[in-house]
Amino acid sequence: MSDRLKKIFTEKLPKTKLVSYFVGCYPTPEISLELIKQAIDNGVSILEVGYVTSEASAEGPIIKAAHDYVLNKGHNLNDIIKLVKNIRDYNQDVGIVLMGYIANLYKYPISNFVDDIKVSGADAVLVVDAPHELKEENQLRDALNKNGLSLIKLAAPTTDDKRLKDIVNIASGFLYQVNVSGVTGVKSASETDVTNFVKRIRNLTNIPICTGFGIKSPEDAKKMSNSGCNGVIVGSAFVKYIQDNLNDKLLTQNVGKLIKSFTNVLE
Amino acid sequence: MTKNSYKTGPDELGYFGSGESAMGGMAVGETLMPVLHELNQGFEEAIKDQSFLDEFDYHCKHYIGRPSPLYYAENLTKKLGGAKILFKREHLNHTLSHKVTNSLFQVLLAKRMKKRALICESGAGQHFSATAAVAAKFDMPLTGVMGDIDIARVNQNIIKAKHYGAELKSVPGTLKEAITEAIKTFSSNPDYAYICGSVVSSAPYPRIVQFAQSVIGREIREQSMEQEGRLPDMLIACCGGGSNLIGMIHEFLDEPEIIKIGVEAAETAALSNGTPGIMQGMKTYMLQTDDGSKSLGGSSLGAGIQYFSVGPQHSFLRDQGIVKYTSATDKEILEAYKLIASTEGICSALEPMAGAAELIKQAKNKPKDYLICLNLCGTGEKDLNTIQEHIGKDFE
Repeated sequence: MSDRLKKIFTEKLPKTKLVSYFVGCYPTPEISLELIKQAIDNGVSILEVGYVTSEASAEGPIIKAAHDYVLNKGHNLNDIIKLVKNIRDYNQDVGIVLMGYIANLYKYPISNFVDDIKVSGADAVLVVDAPHELKEENQLRDALNKNGLSLIKLAAPTTDDKRLKDIVNIASGFLYQVNVSGVTGVKSASETDVTNFVKRIRNLTNIPICTGFGIKSPEDAKKMSNSGCNGVIVGSAFVKYIQDNLNDKLLTQNVGKLIKSFTNVLE
Repeated sequence: MTKNSYKTGPDELGYFGSGESAMGGMAVGETLMPVLHELNQGFEEAIKDQSFLDEFDYHCKHYIGRPSPLYYAENLTKKLGGAKILFKREHLNHTLSHKVTNSLFQVLLAKRMKKRALICESGAGQHFSATAAVAAKFDMPLTGVMGDIDIARVNQNIIKAKHYGAELKSVPGTLKEAITEAIKTFSSNPDYAYICGSVVSSAPYPRIVQFAQSVIGREIREQSMEQEGRLPDMLIACCGGGSNLIGMIHEFLDEPEIIKIGVEAAETAALSNGTPGIMQGMKTYMLQTDDGSKSLGGSSLGAGIQYFSVGPQHSFLRDQGIVKYTSATDKEILEAYKLIASTEGICSALEPMAGAAELIKQAKNKPKDYLICLNLCGTGEKDLNTIQEHIGKDFE
C-alpha cells in the first residue's frame, strides 16, 4: 500500500479529490510534463499517467487517438517512466498512478517494471485488462505490495456482490469505480446509479472510492462528489481539450484553468 | 478423457498448460469479467444438457447440412503422384464455410441464456455472414464489426449478411482492429452475447469455439474409417485464429501417430515468427514490438488468416510439439488455388489454400498408401475479385 496515497485520502481538504488522467508523453514528453505541472499547481490530488498500447480495449475515440499519436511518435513505457521521474522531482505530494494495459508490462517484464517505477517515484499501477484471474496480475500485485506500492483495482456496474468482495479484499490505495459499462469518454454517468454503487461498495469496505468514466464537466464532477465517493476521475475531457488545442500557444495555461474549474467546485 | 490428455483443458481460468508457459487466460476489463464467468457457467451447463446438444445436432444436420463430405481428391492425388489426398469439404456447409457451426452453437447458447442481441467480429466476412444467417433464423438482432479493408475485399459476405438483417459496423483496418472494436462494443453492451468467430480472445471463447468446431474431427474419424478403413496419417489446415484447425485436430490430439500441421499466412505467422505476449484478452504468440506496445504484421491475400496473433491453444500445442506450424506466401496460396481449381473443379477460398500449399509439398514425397486430409474450410466466391486481380480470368 502506498503511503502517499494513504496520506492524500486522510487529508480533510479537498473533501473530494480530483484524479486526472493524462496520456503520458502526449503530445510530446516536454509539453506533457508542462501540462501535468499545471494540473498539480491547480489542485489535482492524483495523476493517472497513461502508457500507450495499440490494442487498448477500453478507450473511446478521444483517448484512442491520443494513444495512436504517441505510438506513432515512438514513445514507449520507458519514456513514460522518465516522465514520472520528472513529475516526482517537481512535486513530492501528488499521487502518481501509471495506467495502461498488461501487454507492455508483460514484455518489460513485470519484476523490472516494479523496480523501475519505484525508483521513478510512482505510487501505484492500474492495469485495465488485468483482472485478478490473470496470472500476471497476481505477479504484479505481489511485487507492488512488497515494494510499498499499490495496485489499483476496478469495480464496474456489472460486478456482482460476491465478486465485489473479492476485489475489495485485494484493493489497495483506492478503488476505481467504473460508472458506466463501456469505453472511456462516451456514455454519461447517472448520479443515482453512482450514489447507489458507492453505497454498495461502502457496505463492504472503508477504502477510498474514486469514481470515473463519463465525468465531462465541473457540473458532472460536483454532482458525482455528492455520491459519497472520495474522488472523481476525469480523463477524456482533459485529453479532448488538449487534442482540440494542440497548436494553441496558451495550451498549458488553459489546461491549468480548465483543471481549476474542476477543483474549484470540489473544495 | 484422462488428466494427461491434450483434449482436456483449459483450466477454469482459461489456461492451457501450467506455470509461466501457460497460454490463454482472461485479460479483459472488469466490466466483462462477470459476463464472461456467466457465459462460462452457461456453457458448462448447456453441454451437460442432452436436449440442448440434440437441438444443436438437429440444426447441424438440417440447417447446415452436416456432415460435410470427406472427398477423395483423385485427380490431385494422381497429379502430385504421392500420398492419397482427402478434402474435408467444409465449404459445402450452409453459408459456405466451417464458421456456421460455431455461429449456430453460440447463438443457441445465447438463446438458452436469454440474451436478446448479438455482436460478432469478422475478417473474411465468413463469420459475419454465417452468424447473420443463424441470427435471422433464430430472430435475434446482430451487429457485425469488420475492418474497412476487409469490407472492400469480401463484399459478397457483407451483402448477404445485410440481407439476413444484420448491421455492419466498420472500423479502419482488418481483423485485428475488428476484434479490438468488438471487445469495446461488448463492453458497452455487456447484456448482449458476443459471438466470437475463432478460438481467440479471453476465456471461455477458445474453449467454446473449439467445442463447437470439434465436430469436424469427429466426422473425419467416422468417414475415414468407413471410406478408407483407416484414419489419415496427416491432417493439414490453415490457421489464422485457428478455429478450423482446432476443429479438425482436436479429436486426434492424443494420437501422436497422426501428424498435424497448421499453416499460417507468411506475413502474419505468429507461431513461426512471433513471441508470447498478452493482447486482445489472451496470452499467446503474436507479432508485436519488443516492448509489447504495438501489434505488428503485414497483409495476406487470405483475409481470414491475416491475423497478427493466434488462439492460445495453438501456442500451447506448438510449445508442446503436438502440432507443427508452418506458413505459406501469397504466391504459394495462389498456385495452390490454381492447381485445385483445375484438377478438382473446386473454387476454394484463399485461406485453406495456405493449407493446400503445405499439402502439395508434403504429398509429393509420400508413398501412395499415405493418407493426407486437408480441411477445405471455405469457398472462393468471396475471393473471386482478388483472384482475378492477381492471376486473371484464365490463369495466364
